[in-house]
Amino acid sequence: MTWVRRNGANWLIPCAVVGALLAGLPERSQGAEDPREWLEKMNHALAMRNYDGTFFHLSEGRVETMRIVHRVRAGSVTERLQSLDGSGREFIRNNDELTCYLPDQHTVLVEPRPEHGPFLGSLPQFGLGVNEFYRIESLPAARILGRAARVIAVTPKDQFRFGYRLWLDEKTAMPLKTQLCDSRGQVIEQIFFARLEMPESIPDSALAPAVRTEGMRWVRQGPSHDTASPALSAFRASELPPGFHLTIAGAQTIGGATAPASHLVYSDGLATVSVFVEAPPPNAPSADANAAAPAEPPMQGLARVGSGYAYSTVVQGHQVTAVGEVPAKTVEFIAHSVKSTGNAELPRR
Amino acid sequence: MSEQIREQVSAFLDGELPNSETELLLKRLTRDGELRESFGRYALIGEAIRGASRAYLTKGFAGRVNLAIDGEPVVAHGSSPGAHVRRWWRPFAGTAMAAGVAAVAVVAFHQRADAPGLRPALTLSAQSPAAAPAQRVALAQGGASLQTPSEPISYTVPATSPAAPAAMPPARLAGYVFAHSRYSSGLDQRGMLADLLIEADEQPVVNEAAAHVAP
Repeated sequence: MTWVRRNGANWLIPCAVVGALLAGLPERSQGAEDPREWLEKMNHALAMRNYDGTFFHLSEGRVETMRIVHRVRAGSVTERLQSLDGSGREFIRNNDELTCYLPDQHTVLVEPRPEHGPFLGSLPQFGLGVNEFYRIESLPAARILGRAARVIAVTPKDQFRFGYRLWLDEKTAMPLKTQLCDSRGQVIEQIFFARLEMPESIPDSALAPAVRTEGMRWVRQGPSHDTASPALSAFRASELPPGFHLTIAGAQTIGGATAPASHLVYSDGLATVSVFVEAPPPNAPSADANAAAPAEPPMQGLARVGSGYAYSTVVQGHQVTAVGEVPAKTVEFIAHSVKSTGNAELPRR
Repeated sequence: MSEQIREQVSAFLDGELPNSETELLLKRLTRDGELRESFGRYALIGEAIRGASRAYLTKGFAGRVNLAIDGEPVVAHGSSPGAHVRRWWRPFAGTAMAAGVAAVAVVAFHQRADAPGLRPALTLSAQSPAAAPAQRVALAQGGASLQTPSEPISYTVPATSPAAPAAMPPARLAGYVFAHSRYSSGLDQRGMLADLLIEADEQPVVNEAAAHVAP
């Protein structure tokens, strides 16, 4: 295993965000009105319950309809996320891997994800300082999907991170509606359920891909068993927005790359930003501060990626890309601060 | 959009639509892209009217919003307090409707301002010259000048880099997002992966070099 885990982060926790918050907030009485208790209930429901629902995903005034099926059976988790609006794309993840079916491109993308632990035992231990950067509070109750709902707001205290508003079902604590908001409270993205069932059991057929895969291309990517080169591993962010710190440093193969990139993960306990550092192409000049551009034009600039951003630049001849569900300024800030330290700790096996 | 469907959408957004009708609405939405667009607008407008979003209007703006709502004239029905329960867009045909449309534009405005020079996900070519027109469109949709206390009416998007950048290939960007999603927290992860699902890019999101054809 190539990953250096400074703070364990298990992607399989559907709402690890909440665990982070809970861990980071000071102990208080766990009254029925305590928003943290409701977030904990939501976290548990999302991770441990069976559910089958259809929800709307709204972003930039565009609406997509999706179905999610989540099953926990004998400690094994399977989840399916499916677009219902025509592309036919869907994700299926199980304990070992995430598979993305892209029928419109005749492609299946697979990423092995073997590392996981018991759900509640694997909550991130980001802990200290989270409440320094977010405010968590209850808002007036509401009704949604014909159900009474608790409304919880997680509000960032500065412009380096996003916040949330969550409408939690009074009976099940499932998030019937979720909004991603910026520091001014503007809604960036929202998800809300039109239908949500929580059956005792879910048949295998509900978790099988609807896509026929005969003749499709299969692409695998994932954490590399090889370490990134010492040169790549030496890169680190020299400066970070308040509250962010390095949680993981490892190697990652991106797409069809022949050599792994260095993959750094920075987190404030709630938001995460990945930084990928890649070597210049083999036919490019050696990497130094004054190196000419590689044969392939380097990437430079900002991209919107769903609810977050990606920012790519060239540092000392290396392609540096920061990606995260954070405001644009945060990925830019981090990417621009990346430098080779020359003596960074190398990933250990 | 028929009046019946308007009522259904409104009731749904108010959390008052019976389950049986919700199923029907859902089926319509999955089939009808135009209805989904209208639904998205109403959802944003609804949020604005409920106070979830902020909008600041110039005087007289309310009267110019009609064209932004389905292209239909909005008739200001008498909305006496004891009248039949109307959905949120109807009694707010005036100022509230304007507020909603303004909020749509403001949201778009802020998003663009957050991401100077960008096109939406995975189709990015950073510093796209198309970005500035996109903003003008966002403002024009409001039908009037919008302003917040701290922002000018007109706005020029600053460039983040003077260099003419290369495009960020969708396949590569998808690879980053996919890899990042492993470590992103739950809600964010779902949002980002959902966006990978819905993107219908002209370019492939998968690197051809990594592919092999299944036997």
